[in-house]
Amino acid sequence: MAGNSKDEEMICGLTMDERDELRQGLFDLPDTMPPRVVWNRIREQGEAEGLLRARSSVRPSTWLTGLAIAASVVLAVVLVPAMNSTPELEQPVTQPLAGDAGSDLPLTALQALMVQSQRLESDLRAMPEEPQVMRASTVATIDDIENAIAAIDFQLNDPSVQMTGEETELFWRERVRLMKSLVQLRYAQAQRAAF
Amino acid sequence: MSKFADIQIDAAIVRRAARGDARAHEIIYRAFATPVYTLCLRFTRSPAHAEDLVQETFIEIMRSVAKFRGEAALGSWIRRIAVSKALMFLRSAWTARSQSLGENWDEVTAGDALSHGVSRHPDEAMDLDAALQNLPDVSRTIVWLHDVEGFTHKEIAKMMGRSESFSKSQLSRAYQRLRPLLSTGDAESAARDALRSF
Repeated sequence: MAGNSKDEEMICGLTMDERDELRQGLFDLPDTMPPRVVWNRIREQGEAEGLLRARSSVRPSTWLTGLAIAASVVLAVVLVPAMNSTPELEQPVTQPLAGDAGSDLPLTALQALMVQSQRLESDLRAMPEEPQVMRASTVATIDDIENAIAAIDFQLNDPSVQMTGEETELFWRERVRLMKSLVQLRYAQAQRAAF
Repeated sequence: MSKFADIQIDAAIVRRAARGDARAHEIIYRAFATPVYTLCLRFTRSPAHAEDLVQETFIEIMRSVAKFRGEAALGSWIRRIAVSKALMFLRSAWTARSQSLGENWDEVTAGDALSHGVSRHPDEAMDLDAALQNLPDVSRTIVWLHDVEGFTHKEIAKMMGRSESFSKSQLSRAYQRLRPLLSTGDAESAARDALRSF
């Protein structure tokens, strides 16, 4: 990329400081968002050209499934504190609030979840390509899981969504759980394909 | 330095996009729409043309994402498509005006600097944004590709179908026009400008 010595030699009439200032000035120029309508036009063209999978006709629940899972995670944020006294909970979903008694546990737990999620992504990437022929039920299940992961990622990456630390952690926890399911499913699939 | 490089998209989303999933494409669009639109707007200076180019870019992504193998970052790949579309547009616009890439620069002579909004004197300097917009298409494009997107002259030359020295000389000339806007070394620059004029 830019910055090799030949390029440097060709910079005529600008000192290094001037060039740095200019580059920084250019880089700092404001970005512009396209109007909202642009995506609608793109989606319409994509659908018309058959580039996007038809929505809702075959399996109407895919996107709704993702939303439902995301909603259930949000619901969990509300309900779990009220259920804290229930002894049979398999795993404590909430952690002490940040700043409680100087504890930094929530941040550590979140980081651990992120690392775990990354590791599962690597595992998934390391698996062989999906077989050409798959059972319809497997395809549907994989699709549902990926939809749910996409819905969670959408929430986590949407700058307009304000989440507390607890909510963020719950989303990540759910993401890890779904990724585990996906990895197990793909592993089983790969094993079947091997025989 | 490119803003495309800062954007990370989960591999699972890309896989879903490769299968034509509308939601995955929307996520990719929301992540990259702003840098793509900004780039297209810088190249064309026209919001309407930039919107069309954003549409063309993301349709191309839909067509080609299944071939994306992840050897390069997704952002670099998308940027390449956007740059290619924008250059194609500029080329066609130049063709429509019966101009070649080389002739474009000659539209503006040194004496025209003031009429194009870029003063030769620092105290009369307009802001960088306006000055950039007032550069001829070719030099503005090269400045953006080189200094903001980080492409080398070799890469720029290949994309534009010109020689490396063409890219270098256009950049150098653009620098000369933008230089009065810079605060660094104003006195020294002004003195050098004055000497040059003799």
